[in-house]
Amino acid sequence: MADVLATLKSFPTDTKANLSPKVYNVKARNYLDALSKISSSAWTQRVGKQSLLDTLDPAVHSIAYMHALLQHISVAGKDKGRLEALLACAVTFFSSFDPVQIRYASEEWGKLLTWLFDGVSKVEDADFGILSTAMLRLDPTGGTFTSYHLRLVRLCLEAGQPSQALPVLNKNIYAFPQNLAKITSEEILCEENDLSNWFITPRSGFTTSLSAEQILEYYLLGAQVYIGQRNWSRARLFLEFVLLTPSPGHVPSALQVEAYKKWILIGLLDIGRVYPLPKTIDPFAVKSIKTIAKSYECLGEDFDKRDWKKYQAELDIGTQIWVEDGNLTLAKEAGDAILRYRVIDLQKTFAALPVSRVAYNLDLPRDHTRQLLTTMISEGHLHASLNENPKDSADPVLRFNYDPPVSSTPEEQDEELKNQTKRVEELVMFIRDADRRLQLSKEYVESQRRIKRSFAGPDGDLADQMDLTWDAPAAPLTEDGDEEDIMAL
Amino acid sequence: MAIPNSLPPPTFDIDTWTNNYEGALVPFRFAHVALRCPSLAHQSLSLALTAAHNGRDIGLYRKLCELAGNLGLSDLSTPDGQWMTRQEEENKRELARLEGELRGYKNNLIRESIRMGQEDLATHHLSTGGPVVDPAHSIPAASTGYHAAYGAYSKMREYCTTPAHIASLTLNLIYTSFIQAVSAQQLGFAPNSHFSTANLLCGRVRNAGVKEEEQRRLTPIALASSGIAYLGLGQYQDAANSFVKVPFEYHTLGQVQGTDFSKTVASGNDVAIYGGLCALATFTRQQLIDEVLGGDFRQFLELEPHMRKAISLYTTAKYQACLAILRHYYSDWSLDIFLGALNVGSGQPHLDRLLSRVREKSITAYFSSFAEVSLASLASTFPPTSSHPTAMEDEVLSMIESGMLEARLDVVNGILIAPSKKSRATTHAEAKNAAEEIERTLLLRLHKVNTILAGCEIVRAKNSGWETGTAGNGF
Repeated sequence: MADVLATLKSFPTDTKANLSPKVYNVKARNYLDALSKISSSAWTQRVGKQSLLDTLDPAVHSIAYMHALLQHISVAGKDKGRLEALLACAVTFFSSFDPVQIRYASEEWGKLLTWLFDGVSKVEDADFGILSTAMLRLDPTGGTFTSYHLRLVRLCLEAGQPSQALPVLNKNIYAFPQNLAKITSEEILCEENDLSNWFITPRSGFTTSLSAEQILEYYLLGAQVYIGQRNWSRARLFLEFVLLTPSPGHVPSALQVEAYKKWILIGLLDIGRVYPLPKTIDPFAVKSIKTIAKSYECLGEDFDKRDWKKYQAELDIGTQIWVEDGNLTLAKEAGDAILRYRVIDLQKTFAALPVSRVAYNLDLPRDHTRQLLTTMISEGHLHASLNENPKDSADPVLRFNYDPPVSSTPEEQDEELKNQTKRVEELVMFIRDADRRLQLSKEYVESQRRIKRSFAGPDGDLADQMDLTWDAPAAPLTEDGDEEDIMAL
Repeated sequence: MAIPNSLPPPTFDIDTWTNNYEGALVPFRFAHVALRCPSLAHQSLSLALTAAHNGRDIGLYRKLCELAGNLGLSDLSTPDGQWMTRQEEENKRELARLEGELRGYKNNLIRESIRMGQEDLATHHLSTGGPVVDPAHSIPAASTGYHAAYGAYSKMREYCTTPAHIASLTLNLIYTSFIQAVSAQQLGFAPNSHFSTANLLCGRVRNAGVKEEEQRRLTPIALASSGIAYLGLGQYQDAANSFVKVPFEYHTLGQVQGTDFSKTVASGNDVAIYGGLCALATFTRQQLIDEVLGGDFRQFLELEPHMRKAISLYTTAKYQACLAILRHYYSDWSLDIFLGALNVGSGQPHLDRLLSRVREKSITAYFSSFAEVSLASLASTFPPTSSHPTAMEDEVLSMIESGMLEARLDVVNGILIAPSKKSRATTHAEAKNAAEEIERTLLLRLHKVNTILAGCEIVRAKNSGWETGTAGNGF
């Protein structure tokens, strides 16, 4: 048993930091071979008085600890007491494991996380924090989408604790897992890289392969979480992700229609009108989406015209629709927001005006208006104050403040801008990477080849043709290469 | 809004005014005056009828008689039936003769003769008002009325052999377009298409390809006509730009290719007023000083000194006096056939729109030097156009809403307040918004690329729908 322990502790060696990635890679692979030779019963045996789980440090010997844990779980069967103890071990493991080592044992890691998911979901009022911690420990950028992303969001929503999914939702997705071409696979897994999508692939076992529906669902559910949080910009982004997911047949998904409906409503709440459509959206798909979501478009139009009576009437008539879509609350909230935006519109024209005049503009009774204004001011939607009117004491004056309370000092603003710049710069890096991956794809190579061919063909511009041959003389790239050569000579 | 038809009498004398104009537009001008100014209705209509009686256009004559009837001038409403019958027959005879001649020329295949034959025919159509719309014979609408003249002129083109011919043809077409436009206006139709055509043709005249000295005679006409066309279309800025470029030779041009535009369409004085008003309504103060008062256009303004005075008053910030001059001549200008015409889009005459723009510009300029102005003092500087108690307030509000005036109104104290500018905070907010927008766009694009790369595009569900797709993913 002692020699087993020695084997288990043989990796990582103390000099880990000094090892070159190549050597580390070799050692790790040898270690995995050694582990596979250990009999399954050895994992659950005790060393002295302690079980392996107590002996091994999950932060140092992560792979061995994980193997032991999995073995214990399979042995435990349905013993509740033991399972709970093991769950605690798993929590410790997932909050402290070494992410680099784990890259070599992705399958086991996936198994254990799935088990944890199952375990946590059965517990009442469980803390899902460990799940997102686990995911972000493996990939601190959270930038590669995995099947666990969707699972986490679903779980949190089902358990009625949507905010628990925020640590993961707040990370932007920079890549979807895909099996990389042969040449780039079998890389040295321990190498540090800004991007996580090269080791999280369906083949590695850190995720299952994904379909469009899963991605759409993730974003749609995520948007719902943000809507609940009143984080409109993030919700808008998520919904636009759904809307922008390409569909080669121009056939929109039902999830996109859902997203479109919500997208209209939150636009009304956020900026007081329907958001402008993203420029890169597929016009044909949008057309069909719009036809289906016609009733929402009508609400949007009424809102744009600030016609709250019509909005209210349509809201009442279509109650069935909003209830079925689960958008009733949002639609109602937008109905309240119309009046708010009408008052805000007044701000552009007036500096101060009597409440009776506001009431006239809103087409509401005076007392109601006064109450509405008081609420708006106290909720902070309106920078204004209600003052005594010197001419008519029964008709107070609404005076808009043009200097909104200074929320941040210039230094803070600078800081904010700097952070924003940093975010955009980071984003550019990820985009470059996507560009690179795009250039590796078959379709890209194919289209490049086609472009070259068309230049070489009889229809091609002669000048371009000459330039091409100067760059790569006598290098026939295609079957038409011979012809190109002849032309070049 | 209907055209106001109760203008006070103008400052000019209608008999002297008549001497400025000739050609087919004259009866229309009189009819316009009669419609707008009741005190001159009788005099101008009788002049119109005399002019029409001297011409050959029976259709026009009949319409003028009807108009007299509508205005309640019974002594003028009885047409001279005898003259009409005689003239109608004469017209028919003449038309048959011209058509016969043209056929002869066509058989002889001499291009120049054909061209002249066509021109004679077109001129005849223009002077007689073209074939009448006859429900019994299905003549297409395009070959009745002035359309026939336009069509006949157009047919000349293939027989033109020199650039000068083309130039003359184009000038005739412009003239015909203006007549078409005016006649459409008075019948209550939209003149826009005719003005657009005229404008297009003006471009051709400016590059007619004729000799330089000949081109020098064409350019003034082209620019002035193009200005009138823009004015008719309601594009005042373009109109102003065209007018201020008109060389002063326009005034002394005399006959060019058979017609004297300064008599038939617009005199030099008219150009001065059109140009001056359009410029006043659309140019900046600096532009007015450099291009209008300081440029070649000043010579035109010398013809109409009050226009020049109004502009210089505006540039020296004496808005009240400037507006007073404009108001004084409102009646005169309203009686002009182009300025007084209705703008189709807004339902207001062009002159009213121009004047209200000048007024708005003046208010904006006046306000720009204050942080706060009380409505009362604003109203004393710019007396409101209507007597409604809230007229000034309404005007200011509509200006704020249209974005002309950057200010906010304190209704309680009746004060107009200029917004305080916080450039640092605004710039910061803008930069932040821009950056966020960029971040969002980048993320969206990245998402699209990624979905395609990972092969996760939406595919049409083969069986029942998306529910089956999501149910089978193993969770």
